[in-house]
Amino acid sequence: MNTASQTLELRNVSKRYANGTLANDGVNLSVVRGEIHAIVGENGAGKSTVMKMLYGLEQPSSGEIVLDGRPVAFRHPRDAIAAGIGLVPQHIELVPSFTVADNVVLGSEPRRGPWLDRTRAADEVRATAERFGLDVDPSASVRDLSIGEQQRVGILKALHRGARILLLDEPSAVLPPQQVQALFAALRQMAAAGLTVVLITHKLAEVREVSDRFTVLRGGRVTGCLASRGASESQITEMIVGRSVAPLRVQRVQARSALPLVSARRLSVLRDDGRMPLQSVSFDIAAGEILGIAGVEGNGQAPLAEVLAGLETPAQGDVRLGEQLVSGQGPRAVRAAGIASIPEDRLHDGVALGMSVADNAMANRYHRPPLSRFGWLFARKAHDEAQHMLKEHGVVARSADAPIGSLSGGNMQKVVLAREIAAEPRLLVASQPTRGVDIGAAQVLRQRLVALRDQGAAVLLVSSDLDELLELSDRIAVLFQGRIVAHFAAGTVGARELGLYMTGLREQAGAAATLDAPFTPHSEEVSA
Amino acid sequence: MIQDTASSAAAPRPWQLPAAIAAALLVGFGITVLVSAEPWRAWLALLTGALPDIRFSDAEGWQVRRLVRFGSVIEEAITLTFLGLAIAIPFRARQFSLGADGQMFLSALAAAAVSLALGGMGYGAFAVLPAAFAAAVLTGFTWGLVPGWLKARYGANEIVTTLMLNLIAVQLYRLVITQWMNDPNAGFLTTPVLPAAALLPNLLPRTNVSAMLFLVPFVVLGAGLLLTRTTVGYEIRTVGQAPAFARQVGMPVKRTVVLSMALGGIFAAFAGVHVSNALLKRLPVDLTPGMAFEGLVVALLARNEPRAIPMAAFLYAYLRAGAQAMERTSDVSREVVLVIQAFIILFVVSERLLPATWSPARLLQWVRAPRAPKEAR
Repeated sequence: MNTASQTLELRNVSKRYANGTLANDGVNLSVVRGEIHAIVGENGAGKSTVMKMLYGLEQPSSGEIVLDGRPVAFRHPRDAIAAGIGLVPQHIELVPSFTVADNVVLGSEPRRGPWLDRTRAADEVRATAERFGLDVDPSASVRDLSIGEQQRVGILKALHRGARILLLDEPSAVLPPQQVQALFAALRQMAAAGLTVVLITHKLAEVREVSDRFTVLRGGRVTGCLASRGASESQITEMIVGRSVAPLRVQRVQARSALPLVSARRLSVLRDDGRMPLQSVSFDIAAGEILGIAGVEGNGQAPLAEVLAGLETPAQGDVRLGEQLVSGQGPRAVRAAGIASIPEDRLHDGVALGMSVADNAMANRYHRPPLSRFGWLFARKAHDEAQHMLKEHGVVARSADAPIGSLSGGNMQKVVLAREIAAEPRLLVASQPTRGVDIGAAQVLRQRLVALRDQGAAVLLVSSDLDELLELSDRIAVLFQGRIVAHFAAGTVGARELGLYMTGLREQAGAAATLDAPFTPHSEEVSA
Repeated sequence: MIQDTASSAAAPRPWQLPAAIAAALLVGFGITVLVSAEPWRAWLALLTGALPDIRFSDAEGWQVRRLVRFGSVIEEAITLTFLGLAIAIPFRARQFSLGADGQMFLSALAAAAVSLALGGMGYGAFAVLPAAFAAAVLTGFTWGLVPGWLKARYGANEIVTTLMLNLIAVQLYRLVITQWMNDPNAGFLTTPVLPAAALLPNLLPRTNVSAMLFLVPFVVLGAGLLLTRTTVGYEIRTVGQAPAFARQVGMPVKRTVVLSMALGGIFAAFAGVHVSNALLKRLPVDLTPGMAFEGLVVALLARNEPRAIPMAAFLYAYLRAGAQAMERTSDVSREVVLVIQAFIILFVVSERLLPATWSPARLLQWVRAPRAPKEAR
């Protein structure tokens, strides 16, 4: 084959959707066999469209897709699968009660007569896993697996169907830091074994860490294609956003001597099955201070945020805002007391997707003047307020009447934050405020959080993005298995040390994040 | 203006309803061709049978005939509009309350009882009618509170409770009429005829089309304003669209659930008054239950959008009258028309199955929708 090295190419591909959006404009992309190729860009840059076309979910309006030197037309994902392309979606759907092997062979089961040949299934899966260095036990039940392991099952599934080219859609977004490393190691081993990996991401560090080459998209066009080795972070950033983003310089606040505005004491949450996802957690936040909560997801962050938002009643302990008891009072009372919250799952809890921007923007204030009186809504007022919000927060939306579902993730989140700020909260609980948000919008959101702090509000920031936590927090507490295991002042700790506490390798007995609690001592081996 | 968003979520297309009806009529015609010797005539009867017949002859001048049939279309459309609204309001809060039947029966009973009592004391229409309406509305609202409360307090499935409450309401209605309101001179089990002061003024001679017709636009407008311009309506829409979100922002979700079912009862009450004080003018014990399920179909056709409900109700009533005409004047049975009605509903309701609206982008959205495993409870 004369063009053997060019495994997959897009030649001058454009895609215009039925609604007129030009998602890709003359995109040229070439992926070489055996490489890891990253496609980078902000939300809405056209990355997903490229991936959809490669997987047969969308067809190019013009231009062609070339596979191993031959033009191909994928009308349907099964065409792409037949041609050796496999997609690993960001959120993998598996059957929890099935074993890994059962899940992998689901849809292409080896049979013996009419029966599923389970032995052969397990053998096949084990062989594939070994060949590509994916560490998974084929006989394990999927419900017992971590998200990282589930992701490997997703990859195995694509490989089992004969994929030679793997498409991964933001695979690291759902993983804790340690598992990201394992994933990258696996990807490198697969590339070494001759597979081709196409990776969509918007994290710069990943581009440089795992990919051989990368292609940057901005506004549907390719703005560059470079070898990852040697490309500097600021260079990539500039290609992504068209300008370089100055790192946010945040003035730290020293609140040790201040009076706490929020104080939580010995908070515990008890589930019906006897588990305690939150155990005796104590912390304070002063007015004008950001307390960051670090931790691998699922270690008590969600119940903590829910208790503070009034969605969950603690089994023990209480939360006070000033002098007022706010735990266990229900969301409306909690909000009336001055607590606002940005929920972790934006699409499920943060917005009503089918409703308009205006309807979403007033959801926490509609029941009192000036938006309503005696049960009558002032629709015009609500609309004007929403329109004003869009302008002030730089939200890109057709109008306040547009359904919020038509906005990009970043713009949606700006509406959520604008709504919560509009209630003039004394405490803002921000869970994963910039998750799935592009770099530019994330920067704006972070600036808003800091501005809110500087106006005197207390902020509890729960984030799995360690860089964000280290950048914004005045103090950081680490949650592990529902308990606070460490407490640091801003600027005295790095991601590596936090990681030790997040994974349970180290813990400070009886740690608390109250204003008078001692900080966790640093260990020499880490700082060395 | 705040966009009415349940409809935007369903992404209705303007051509969709006409297209669905056209497709259903086409399929229906296909069926007619199979079963009838004279399909064209039968088909014409279905489509125009409900219309009044306007003729001109030298001998008699302009003449309008078959007005009774057209009158019955309007009568039925009015009842169905109210029942459609009664179903649509709880549906907007995603409560599948089917209690409109029971609400209508008890409201009609309340209206008739008040009419008989006050009319018997010699009060005029300006006292009797408002009192009858008030009694009916109160009854419908209260009867709606029951399943709402059962749902909010005990998590009882509203489909089950409303169906059971319908049975209770109908038997209660029969008991009251047989035991306490029976007119011994009637020759069958029924209430006495309501006094003239309690009757809504008639608009079309030889029909029961009454002044209720003028009330319809206001009631529909009221339902629309309730949903778009009141805090309760906003809560109903939000709870229906995104219950988790509603809870998160502090909305009284349980109260909204209860209110949505009770508020639906108000509209069922209008249907009740229409039956007792305009159509029948007395309440027979064997009043047929099940009208509310036609209201359900109307609400579905209108996609729970108040403004569209009168149109959907008229279409439904029109087709039904046409069906009777078809049955009488041709060799096609009424069942065929029921089949065609079912087709229309099927075509409209299964809009998402139409190939034109299926898009890979949607599928991918679905694939990528964040369903990160939440911490198990």
